[in-house]
Parts: sequence; structure tokens; C-alpha cells
Amino acid sequence: MNALNPRIRIVWVLRSLVGALILGGAAAGVAVFRSVSLAIPAGLTALFVVLGVVHAILRYRNWRYVVNDDALYLERGVLTQVRTEVPLVRIQHVDSRRSAFERLVGLASTVVYTAGSRGADVTIPGLTPDDASDLRERLKGLAIDADGEDAV
Amino acid sequence: MKLAPLSVPYRALQKAGRLAITLVFLGSVGTGVGFGGALVAAGIGGAIALALIYEFAYYRRYEYTFTDDTFDIESGVLNRREREIPYGRVQNVDISRNVIQRLLGLSAINLETAGGGSTEAAIRYVTADAAATIQDEIRRRKRGDDQRRRTGTEPTDDTEGDTADGDSEATDSAATREFDDPDEELLFEISPSELALAGILSFDPRVPGLLFALFTGSIPFVSPVVPEPAAVATTGLNPTLVLFVMGVVLLVGLVVLSWVVGAISAVVNYWGFRLTRSETELRYERGLLQRYSGTIPFEKIQTVTISDNPLKRRAGYATLAVETAGYAPGQANDRGSEAAVPIAGHDRIRRLAAEIDGCETGTFDRPPKRIRRRYLARYLIALAGLTGLLYAGSVVIDAAAGLPWYLPVVGVLLAPIAAHYKWLHRGYRLGANHFVTRNGVWNRETKRVPYHRLQTVIDSRTLFQRRWRVATVIGDTAGSLSLLGNDAAAVDIESDDAVSLRTELRDRLQASLADRRRQRTVGSAAGPPVAEPSTAVSDESVGDDTDITPDNNAENS
Repeated sequence: MNALNPRIRIVWVLRSLVGALILGGAAAGVAVFRSVSLAIPAGLTALFVVLGVVHAILRYRNWRYVVNDDALYLERGVLTQVRTEVPLVRIQHVDSRRSAFERLVGLASTVVYTAGSRGADVTIPGLTPDDASDLRERLKGLAIDADGEDAV
Repeated sequence: MKLAPLSVPYRALQKAGRLAITLVFLGSVGTGVGFGGALVAAGIGGAIALALIYEFAYYRRYEYTFTDDTFDIESGVLNRREREIPYGRVQNVDISRNVIQRLLGLSAINLETAGGGSTEAAIRYVTADAAATIQDEIRRRKRGDDQRRRTGTEPTDDTEGDTADGDSEATDSAATREFDDPDEELLFEISPSELALAGILSFDPRVPGLLFALFTGSIPFVSPVVPEPAAVATTGLNPTLVLFVMGVVLLVGLVVLSWVVGAISAVVNYWGFRLTRSETELRYERGLLQRYSGTIPFEKIQTVTISDNPLKRRAGYATLAVETAGYAPGQANDRGSEAAVPIAGHDRIRRLAAEIDGCETGTFDRPPKRIRRRYLARYLIALAGLTGLLYAGSVVIDAAAGLPWYLPVVGVLLAPIAAHYKWLHRGYRLGANHFVTRNGVWNRETKRVPYHRLQTVIDSRTLFQRRWRVATVIGDTAGSLSLLGNDAAAVDIESDDAVSLRTELRDRLQASLADRRRQRTVGSAAGPPVAEPSTAVSDESVGDDTDITPDNNAENS
């Protein structure tokens, strides 16, 4: 079982920070408009930031993935824990992508697509760019080897 | 080959009609600005003339041909488009004809391929005979294509039988031709009483929404009907009560109207519904005003769903739906999967379903009994929330002061029953070839997914599920309805069972795939792919792909 790169926590924290700031900004706007103390929006923002950080840490701790002989196996989730088994025969195509935050900390994600309705859900974040393209190539190779007959 | 000549005026009028509506609208708006009626009439005439010219050019430049392995369409007046659709990729060929088209002897054809819900090629209006020819020809060539791919040999060219098999319902030549195929076997035909029942049980939920959208725009229109509180007060009645009663009357009216509309549309849609099977595919035909017919290859069937509710169960009826990959025929008109049998006797549905997917029946493994307490708690919380909301509403809003906010409390009596049934109906079974799940308090759905159709297997547990030591296992398929999160799911089973179920499903998927691969290479291309021998679950080595011929690899390209 592989863990993600620890730096992914930074990405997640940054993301929740942006969310918290937007919410906090909106709350501050309302507070100014209604001439209420600014302590409330500030407190809200702080709360969201703390929640975001805790969530990022727990999320990192719960994330595991492994490429088995015939399936890609993922384990993740904080409140709802999800374990996904993606048979290699079912893989349609594999992407690796890098968001702005991921580029900032030098990480990339690999996205695995299946014909299933939840296909796009299978994203493995927190890989170094080399690992991501390695994983992509490996999955591609395994998927071809596994012979997807009609992958539907 | 060309489109039907009559398609030129038909298409032109269709197009001009749309234009005319716009013009009339513009005219009615613009009379004040100085648009005369004569100008509008001239505009409409001009539009028809223009449309006729364009459609004639369209007709001249539209050509479809059958090549050895593709169906080619060249079309377009200004932007030319050339399409080659490999026969093997065609999922369905649907023919539809509305009343006017039937009078003119025209048919619309939709060619569906996998990938997305959109139609790959819409051939707008060929003659009814040509439509039947296209459907037959594509089916024949597709079968040949499949055989060639599997066995690497040329297919035995089966000649089209010309004997009409006494089909009394055939109303025109197109319909008769469709049942020419000698190896076509009638699976299901809706009986008048079933059709009537389907109508009675249909409720069109779109109607209230539509009416709402229509009437919210015309509140001033409605408000004169609503009596003024002051006026009501003089009659000595409670104004809130009057408002409440009016609301109830309106609601009942809406429900009745939706029901009538639903009933009519169900009868019109399923008129003369029949389902036949040939060697490789299911074929349906239905519709009163607009005739639909289409095919569903067995190879593309993902899941079979049987659903019923307490009323239907009591009367001994059930509903059947067949899902294919990424596309349910008739998505365009939102009626869902048309291979669905709206309602039929329970035994008939059972036999029909077994005929389609070859799945056996059996008993279900239920979630642990303790989970009923969780469901009960959930219902009670929901009821409490609703009551609280109504109470708050009756306190805050003056007009709603007399509202019987305590009404939902009656639900407390029903909650234990609902919780019990929720548990009772929930379950899963690992069949010889299928993963079967059942869910639903009121509308009970049994889904049957062949192991070789499973995509990803997901096992999830929410915070609350972890407290109850249960988990949910979802078998994702490429089925079209599963886009709505309607996957086969074994909900709230013991955590340990969930883990073993997940691995079991994975293993059976692999075994079943290996089995199918072996069957293909052996060359047993013939024979219905539905009723496969139930030896699928063998301890065959997983991931063994040494027995793959180049043919199989070619298929992926």
C-alpha cells in the first residue's frame, strides 16, 4: 500500500484556505452591511481554516493506493470511508494532470477513467510528476495486457 | 441511396413552420411599430420558398451507402460532412414515425453508437421500406461483422426469409417486414388490460412543474380568484382555513391532472408494445401516434431491473427495465428505457427477465436486524425536523397561524413499519452469473448485474455506518441509468461481509471475463449469449491472457 506524497497536505490546506477566505469575505461583507462586529466573520474564517487543516491531515492519513495484479485499489475518506477496486481490464484511459496548487508544490495527479458512471471519481492525487507519469504508463501497459475485450 | 423525395416538402414545412411562428410573434409585437399583416404573410411565404429550396439542395446532397464494413453518410449543403460508422459499433437502430410521417410514408432513423447519450446519426426521413431495409441490412452486416471478428471466418450469409408469419397486427409494409426474420421469437406483447393498468398507474411528475412554471408568471391572473381575507371574514369563516382548503383543492386538482396526462401518455407510448428476440438482439416496437421500433443487442445489455410496489405486488404485477451502455433508447423524449415493460403479470416478468439475462432466482442476504433501529431513528429525526419546520412557519408567518403543524406526528406510527420494510426489502445475492441487489421501501427494485458487466467495485462507510459496523458495496456498471446514481448496491451489510463481498465480486468478474474469453477463442460464436452455461465461477487462473488471439486485440482498436 502506497501513501501519498506528504506535500499534498499543503495543496489541500491551500484549497480549503481559499474556500474559507471566500466565505469569510462574504460574511465580512454582510457584517459590514449590517454593521455587526467583524469578530464573527473573523471567527468563522478561523474555524473553517482549522477544520480545513484537520481535514487535510486526516485525509492524508487515510489515503492509500496500490496497483495489484488485476486491479487498482484505493482507500480514502475522512467522514465517509471509501474503498474502490478498479479492475485493470476496465480502464479506458489514464490522464495525469497538474492543477495550479499542485504545480506550486511540485505534485501531479493521475486520473483513471472507466466506462462506469463513477469512472471519473478515480483520481490519485499527491504524486510527484515522475511518479504520476510512471503510474500512468504502468496502468496503461497493464490495461493493454489485461485485454479489455469490450471494456463496457 | 437517397432520402425519400417527400422528405423535401415535409422538412421544408417543418422548418418554415418554426420560422413562421417567430414571424407571427414578431408581427404581433411589431404591429405598433408598423409591421403590416401583409408583410408578415409575405415573410411566411418567403420563408417557405427559401426552406423548400434549401431542403431540395439538402435532399440532392444527402447520400448513404452500405460498404463492406461501414455505413457511410455524406450530407450537408454548405458544410459537407462525411461519416463512416463501422457496423460493429452500432448499438441500436431506432425507427420512429409520427402520424403525419405515417400518412406521408416517411420514417426517421436514429443510429446509436456507444459513447455518450447522443445520437450518432439521425437520418431524417426515408421511406418506410427503406427504413426497414436499413435496419435489416445493418443488423445482418453487424452480425456478419461480429462473427468474422470472433472466428476469423466469413459469416454464412443467411438469406432473408420472405414469409410473413401471419402477423395480424402489421399495419403497413414496414411493420410486416420487421417480423420476417424466421428466427425471431415473440417474447412479450402487452395485453389490453395491462395497457390500461399501465395508464392507470402512470403519474407524470412533469405536469405540476410545467403548470407551476406557467402560472407563477401569471399571479395577477390568479389573485382575483383568491378571496380577500376581509371579504371572507364577513361570511364568518376562518380566512386561513379557506386558504388552506383552496390550497388542498388546487393540489388535488394538480395530482388528478398529472395522473390523467400520465395515463394518456403511457397508453399512447406503450400502445401495441411488443418485444421480440432474435439470435443476437432484442427488438421492441411500440407507440400509437408515433411508432417506435428499435433493437438492443444482447451484447450491450448491462443490467436488468425488476421493480414493484406493495400495490402491484398485491395485484401480482411488476415492471421490468433493461439498461444498455451509456444509452437508453428514447432518452430524447425522456421516457427512459423503452425496453422497459411498463407492467405485466409477475410471473410473466420473471420468465421474461430470465429469458433476457438467464439469471436464476433465489433468496437474499439481508442486512443485520439491528439496522432497523437506525432506519427508525432516521425516520423519526426526519419527522421531527418537518414538524419543527412547520411549527416555526406557523409561528413566524401570520397567514399560516392556523396551520396544523402537528400533522407529521401521525407519521410516528408509520415509521416502525417503514423501517421494518426498508430492512426487509434490502438484500443482495451472489448468483451463478449475476450480482443481484434489492432495495426500496415503497418501490422495491431488484437489479441483476452480470459479473462480466461490473466496472469498479466500491465499498463505502459513512461515519454513521461505522458506528453501526455496517458498509455499502456498490457494483458500478456502464449502464445509462447508473448515471443517476442508480447502481446495484448492497446497502448496510456487515463490515466484514462488505470486504469479502468486494473481493468476491472482483474475483468473479475476472473469472467470468476469462471464461468469456475462452469461449470466444473456442469459436462458439453462435448461440444466444444470454443463457451462458453457469460454469462462470470457476477457479480459473485470473489474468491468464495467453489464450488471446490477435482477433481479440484487434477489437480494441
